[in-house]
Amino acid sequence: MSGADVAGVAPRVRTWRAFRANPLGMVSVGMLLLLVMVALAAPLIADYPRGYGDDVLAAPSSAHWFGTDNLGRDIFAQVVWGTRTSLAVGLGASALAIVLGVAVGVGAAYFKRLDTALGMLVDVMLSLPVLPLMILVAALAGPSVSTLVVVIAVFSWPEVARVVRSQAMPVVTLSFVDAAHVMGAPNRWVLVRHILPAVSPVITVSVVLTASRAVLSEAGLSFLGLGDPSSWSWGTVLYNAQRSGALSSSWWTALFPSLAILVLVVAATLCSLAYNDARNPRNRQDAIR
Amino acid sequence: MALLRFAGVRVLRGVLTLWFAVSVTFFLVRLLPGDPALAIASPTMTEEQRAHLLAEFGLDQPLLVQYVTYLGELVQGNLGISFRQSQPVLDILLERLPWTLILTSSALVVTLAIGLPLGVLAATHRGGAIDRAVQIGGVVGQSLFVPTVGIALLYAFGLGLGWFPIGGAIDSDVYGLEAYVSMLRHLVLPCLSLVVLQIGAYVLTLRTNLIDALGEDFCNVARAKGAPERTVVWKHALRNALLPTTTLVGLQLGFLVGGAVLTETIFAYPGVGRAIYESVGQLDFPVMQGAFVLLAATVVVANLITDLAYGVLDPRVRAT
Amino acid sequence: MTRMRRRAASHRIAVVLSAAVVAGLAACVPAEPGDEDGADDSGSGEAGGELAIGTTADVVNYNPLVGNSRTDTWITNLMYPSMMTLNDDAEKVPALATEWGYSEDGLTAWIEIRDDLQWSDGEALTADDVVFTIEAVASEQLGTVAGMIGSYESAQAVSDTRVEFTLNRVDGAFLNSVGFWMPIVPEHVFSQAQSVADFANDSDWVSAGPFVLTQVERGQRYVMEKVDSYPLGEDGAPNVDTVVFRVYPDVNTEVLALRSGELDLIANALPPSVADDVSTDDELETYVVPSLGWAHMQYNMRRQPLDQVEVRRALAHAVDYEAVRQVALGGHAVSANSSILTPTFPKWMDESAEEYEYDPQLSRQLMTKAGFDDADGDGMFDGVDLEMIYDSGDPNISSWAELVRDQAAEAGITISLSGLERNTYLARTDERDFDIYAGSWAVIDEPQSNFNLLFAPDGFINYAGVNDPEVNRLLDDAASALTVEDARGPLHDLAAIVTDQVYDNVMYVEEFTFAASAEWTGFVPKPSELLSVVNPQSLASVRAAD
Repeated sequence: MSGADVAGVAPRVRTWRAFRANPLGMVSVGMLLLLVMVALAAPLIADYPRGYGDDVLAAPSSAHWFGTDNLGRDIFAQVVWGTRTSLAVGLGASALAIVLGVAVGVGAAYFKRLDTALGMLVDVMLSLPVLPLMILVAALAGPSVSTLVVVIAVFSWPEVARVVRSQAMPVVTLSFVDAAHVMGAPNRWVLVRHILPAVSPVITVSVVLTASRAVLSEAGLSFLGLGDPSSWSWGTVLYNAQRSGALSSSWWTALFPSLAILVLVVAATLCSLAYNDARNPRNRQDAIR
Repeated sequence: MALLRFAGVRVLRGVLTLWFAVSVTFFLVRLLPGDPALAIASPTMTEEQRAHLLAEFGLDQPLLVQYVTYLGELVQGNLGISFRQSQPVLDILLERLPWTLILTSSALVVTLAIGLPLGVLAATHRGGAIDRAVQIGGVVGQSLFVPTVGIALLYAFGLGLGWFPIGGAIDSDVYGLEAYVSMLRHLVLPCLSLVVLQIGAYVLTLRTNLIDALGEDFCNVARAKGAPERTVVWKHALRNALLPTTTLVGLQLGFLVGGAVLTETIFAYPGVGRAIYESVGQLDFPVMQGAFVLLAATVVVANLITDLAYGVLDPRVRAT
Repeated sequence: MTRMRRRAASHRIAVVLSAAVVAGLAACVPAEPGDEDGADDSGSGEAGGELAIGTTADVVNYNPLVGNSRTDTWITNLMYPSMMTLNDDAEKVPALATEWGYSEDGLTAWIEIRDDLQWSDGEALTADDVVFTIEAVASEQLGTVAGMIGSYESAQAVSDTRVEFTLNRVDGAFLNSVGFWMPIVPEHVFSQAQSVADFANDSDWVSAGPFVLTQVERGQRYVMEKVDSYPLGEDGAPNVDTVVFRVYPDVNTEVLALRSGELDLIANALPPSVADDVSTDDELETYVVPSLGWAHMQYNMRRQPLDQVEVRRALAHAVDYEAVRQVALGGHAVSANSSILTPTFPKWMDESAEEYEYDPQLSRQLMTKAGFDDADGDGMFDGVDLEMIYDSGDPNISSWAELVRDQAAEAGITISLSGLERNTYLARTDERDFDIYAGSWAVIDEPQSNFNLLFAPDGFINYAGVNDPEVNRLLDDAASALTVEDARGPLHDLAAIVTDQVYDNVMYVEEFTFAASAEWTGFVPKPSELLSVVNPQSLASVRAAD
């Protein structure tokens, strides 16, 4: 066991304790878990929404909790199954963005020669209006879930890279990393052994945040008609409502998928806020006081 | 000298950013599977007509030649010709740009005007009900889906209460003061939806920074000297908290301008963002590309101006 | 120093924002009109009022001979008159033209036009304008009209009101096609450009319709003022003073604007669910018109097993057409009796046509007869998996595509759906790369000539790959018939073959619903979304309700 690990365990436990003490954080984690469960158990909760129903644009009732859409399909079922696609797109895009972002962020922190160039690339990407770029790419590549994942990831990684870089920077200059170098340890070993563990807490937060933003982006793209028409996502449900003109007359067609998005993004944001609070010792003291 | 050097570096950076934006879109459009050539040529065309059309738009040249030509034209302010409207892309977009500028800048002004006091309020009432409400409100605002908010606003304030017009940016045949009033009335709802969307980021960042600053030594010193808390917050802490908050403006500008696509579409506001939506439907790639370049340029120029203005006013910044 | 810094932050923001706002405002606030503009406006009083019309897109092309998007046509149609228009039975009736006909041998055609129309700049509209227009279309191959006048040789203005066309073959649809589809443009304006195709026509418009475009604010509105005299209107002039087209990219916002009274009329057809909702609103009036085309599936006969007529019949009997119309279109469609001669055109319609019956059992029998079986006992015929392509942007077809797939499954036939982005969809249809094609024709108004494009071996929208000598013979007979009576026989025979062989599976004829404020009356709705309620005749006669 190296020194870094011993030192790393204790604050992690402390962070977790502080996190558990925050009701907001726990509630938001609960919500996220609930959404994941809904996504996994979708077939048990509702039938896959297909075909058509007799009751067109019916308001919410005991038969249809969230009402029906313009073809009489149950919106509750759409939202439940949409959780699956939306979460899949969110997590897929976030995973890809994290891999890219961590690679660039750690690379920039570790290889000093790359830092300026990579830093500039990140700055440039961050300052550009991303949604129009996503629209452009999605319009060209054609609508499908995989396109969405790639498109969203390709334009989300700079955020991750920025955070990871700032987290990795101090670690690189720590004495044990230098010591490892002096002892002739290869770069890879230093990266895996010291730097990745150091940045892993930020990565956890990033996964949640990036995924929730990806879900919002997915909804935006789908709403513009660039989503995957053959699978239900929250964005698809909203797009159907928009295209059928139901938005202006049947509030339930838009409200429930929007609420689902809201719950996910709010929970993810609160979760990361609570985690950051818990990890920051000064805040913790404040909280106790 | 230092100022000149600072300005030079910033301008160079802005140019670099623009070049990057231009190149990315250029190669994306040409290398991705969706074929722009297919978009302008209709199935009813003969092989000959198609070739002629491709030549007309320069799409038959090697990629690098097209790229150099495109950059050359761009420097001269030429963004190409629209596939659908036989009109220069720049003409089409310049007509739209002022509206996007008005919408986004007014949204930014309102956001800051409301966001700063709210941030201070939350930080000074830390842990209290106000703090909680502001934080949750900010997070919820960030997480809303723009079109839903837009339709809800239109439904409530446009159709229900009739306070604001539905769609458009200004009435016809209004002049002078009346024109400004009309413009304002059309601006309120789309502006509001953008404010709701981005205010959370400002409030939350300012709150965190302010809390940090309030715990710093210089604030404690000020308190020890007997300065009232009001003075400590507004004079000493806020000054330091604003610095990192302003860098957020730079980061949020891209987001704000991007958000204009959905907002302008829902509110039928005639800006550049809506031009993007429309050109997607018509597969008008030059317009799409041009609109993106123009939006990127807007962000770059806005960032540049703030950077330079800031550099002139605050010598500390020049060092970085 | 410290004061400086604090001010810096607020300055930084203030500088940028004020610059942007000032720049924006300065560019957007209209200047006071000068005297030369103001003079004309004073003349138009408040008598007729202003009609605000919602449209979904900006005008792409002001040149009516080049642009052919529907949204463009709504505006250009009000300025450049067609020689014929449609009545409720979708028959060509006089507009600018008063009479027309063919010579005995069918190689000469003539049109007589009105003598009382003039362009809004005072020039008379004469036969020369007609000749100029068709010459430009033919020599520069402009727009869709160019494809309809293959038989055109030359035109001559024999008097101010009479045009004679020389044809290179007998073509019974020539006059109707030219008369309906070709807007007449002013020679004295359009001849200024080197070629008509290059004439942008984006300012100083000249109109021979009820209104003339006077002001354009792209992304927002197109303002059209009434002309002094419009003999085709009921009272010799339009009733409303001003027509304003306002652009709403989102139909939901557009409907809200109609309800709030900011719009008086929506030019585009409403989605079915909105149409139902709006028809219960007392303050709104709805108008229903049929499509001039049809929605259909075509089976690619270049491929197995669709080259077997049994398989095509099996597919045709595996669709519940009534359910498609009721559910996917919310009842806003009528049956075409599975015939390409749809009820929209009573003069062509064949009363004896009958719709394919929805009968999964019959489909199964037909499949068995075609040599398929279900050896693995999963309820589906083995070795059959048909790919059906459609434009995923088309809300109606994306809705019924799923129904069709599920119903085919009842009959043991597997259909895989490929909802494609429009560009890809067009490319695939162009390459005939599909098993089943689902789509719709917007306008098929002249069966005599249009059917050639659909069913002749080299027809460019012959997606199914029809190549049938009997069909070819009937196509020729119909094309060369100079009267409805002569054309009807071959067309009926042709339609019967198409139905029997399932060369084209016509599913329904859509009905479009338009909505207008009940404060206006006198609209003249015409078939198709193209003419809608915003056709010249309609807008010339609309007036405020009492």
